[in-house]
Amino acid sequence: MANDEPAATGQILLVEHATHRFGDVVALDDVSIAARRGEFLTLLGESGSGKTTLLRIVAGLERPTRIARIAIDGEDVSAIPASRRNCTTVFQHYALFPHMSVGQNVEYGLRVRGVGKDERRRRAEDALGLVRLLDKYGRRVHQLSGGERQRVALARALVTEPAILLLDEPLGALDEKLRVDMQVELLDLHEKLGLTFIYVTHSQEEALTMSDRIILMRRGRIVQEGPPTDLFDRPATRFTADFMGVENLLEGAIESVADGTATVRIGAHRVSGAWSGRGRAEKGARACVAVRAERIRLAPAGAAADAPGVNRLPCRTGTTIYKGKYLDQTLETDIGPIKARIWDRGVDLAGSTALWWRESECAVTAAADPVDPPAESPAG
Amino acid sequence: MTALGGRRMGNAPVRPPLRRRLVDALPRGASLFFGYGVLFILYLPIVWLMILSISGEPLTGIPGDWTLTWYEDVIYADIAQRAGEAYGSNFRVGEPLILSIMLAFATAAACVIGVLIVGPVLPRVKRRGPLLLGFLMPLMVPGIVAGVGLFMWYRLVVQVKMGVWSLALAHFVWAFPFALLAMLVVASRFDDRLMEAAADLGATRWQRFWQIEVPILKPGIFAAGFFGFLLSFNELPFSIFMRSGQDTLPLYLWIQSGAHNTTVPLIYAMSTLVTIASVGLTFLAIKLAFGGGRHGK
Repeated sequence: MANDEPAATGQILLVEHATHRFGDVVALDDVSIAARRGEFLTLLGESGSGKTTLLRIVAGLERPTRIARIAIDGEDVSAIPASRRNCTTVFQHYALFPHMSVGQNVEYGLRVRGVGKDERRRRAEDALGLVRLLDKYGRRVHQLSGGERQRVALARALVTEPAILLLDEPLGALDEKLRVDMQVELLDLHEKLGLTFIYVTHSQEEALTMSDRIILMRRGRIVQEGPPTDLFDRPATRFTADFMGVENLLEGAIESVADGTATVRIGAHRVSGAWSGRGRAEKGARACVAVRAERIRLAPAGAAADAPGVNRLPCRTGTTIYKGKYLDQTLETDIGPIKARIWDRGVDLAGSTALWWRESECAVTAAADPVDPPAESPAG
Repeated sequence: MTALGGRRMGNAPVRPPLRRRLVDALPRGASLFFGYGVLFILYLPIVWLMILSISGEPLTGIPGDWTLTWYEDVIYADIAQRAGEAYGSNFRVGEPLILSIMLAFATAAACVIGVLIVGPVLPRVKRRGPLLLGFLMPLMVPGIVAGVGLFMWYRLVVQVKMGVWSLALAHFVWAFPFALLAMLVVASRFDDRLMEAAADLGATRWQRFWQIEVPILKPGIFAAGFFGFLLSFNELPFSIFMRSGQDTLPLYLWIQSGAHNTTVPLIYAMSTLVTIASVGLTFLAIKLAFGGGRHGK
């Protein structure tokens, strides 16, 4: 059972009932979050979900339209400007000062605090050492590569030893290979420093790799929050399942519920899986069976028909896409196409007449999301 | 072999017929001719003036008999007359020169302060079109018209006496739009996110201004000061209306050139000096503004 009230002592960030509007657009709609000391918390969502707005409100760069309380390390900071909040930001676009050297950039947070020159230099070198850029102290910013710039931005944000480090899609501008390396580097830093990281991203893969906890946002509201395994394996709604990359979403009506397992009627078939929606599954309610492509297996013709705990559908093979390590295979069933990921090259595609997956390997979620926009009336 | 020969022929550069080549070359030739023509019209009189300023008989319009005597006269005429001695010419350039330099410095300073106040804000104003137009419109008002307007307003409506203050005011009115334009070129490229990053790192408003905004806008600030100086130093139409008793250098040269034949050679020399000083100052300003701050040093 999730604990809704985090222990007051270990709590470093608290945002209560934050609402923010840009003109008529509600960017953030009555959102409350909390972060534990030392937590790696990820705000995940597509663009326009309000995740960056929330981060900017924490940083003090955006003044929320309405907020009940915002506290950093126990101190209420509602009235405190960004410059006096004990948190720093790593921006996606780096925002390094072009007229300063790497060292001057890193030292800037100390310079404005009136730290002496020698101590500044020593601490800047420590911070640059953390991101493995010690030899770049005297360089100009434009002489650095994208990855190096991002690491300088990281060192600059760390040098003042903030209570919370805010990261706004810090890897968004980097190429794939560099992004994976930086993910590992960020994780190492997080472990080494024991600092609270609040990380904004639109990449579910990044969120899964790095986070202690993920807050999935949509249309300015929180859709689901929990540890990565929760969001990945037990999506509460169709939206979460879709966002977390579940390829097969089969919608139907709940026919029966027993022992946490919901059976959904889709067309002429019955499919069962673990109920992962909020509250209790209601008989007759619309639901969505979420199955990942890698869970789908093929059964050769004439294999045993029914096994307990298994969902089985007759199918024909459709298009095959060669992906190198595996095949993306579309299987045509009478409830629509189902995508399967096939790793075993020995499998007899043409001879397969049915697909199956374990009930324990799929989730049954609510079909609708409370954040879904209301259906528009044609007259409106 | 025939196939090979054919291919070789196909690969050879084909020379289009003469008529075609002429038609292609004509626009280029014409624009070159026109361009050099404009340069010629621009610089010939100045070069001619410079040559005559070191000629023995400048009034004849024929160069030659090289001498620096007119330059000597420019300097010594003033010194001698100041000492109460009679000199061959009553040309006295000292006071107008000092007044012009002081006015130029004052205008430059006012322009720098003005663009520092307006420049960083203007590109961030939401509906800045009309505001921008308002600031830059004076560029399109003829100096004489604006000069008359200012004169009428202060002399006849407000009823104050003209003086150095009115000259300074007029020069500022004249130079500020140019200075602002120079600043806006730099300020409109300024990345506001740098100010957010600085605030996030703990910089106060004042620190952000001096440590982030001013250094990055430095080329624009220099350009504004430089435009202020040069435009004030060379200004004539406003000065005609807004002076009182004291003459600026361009005003003095303008009056003298219409008065006595004997002073004309001195005007040549003085104009040459002013031209050289202006060009020198321009290069210096460009070097200061863009050379020192260039990345990669």
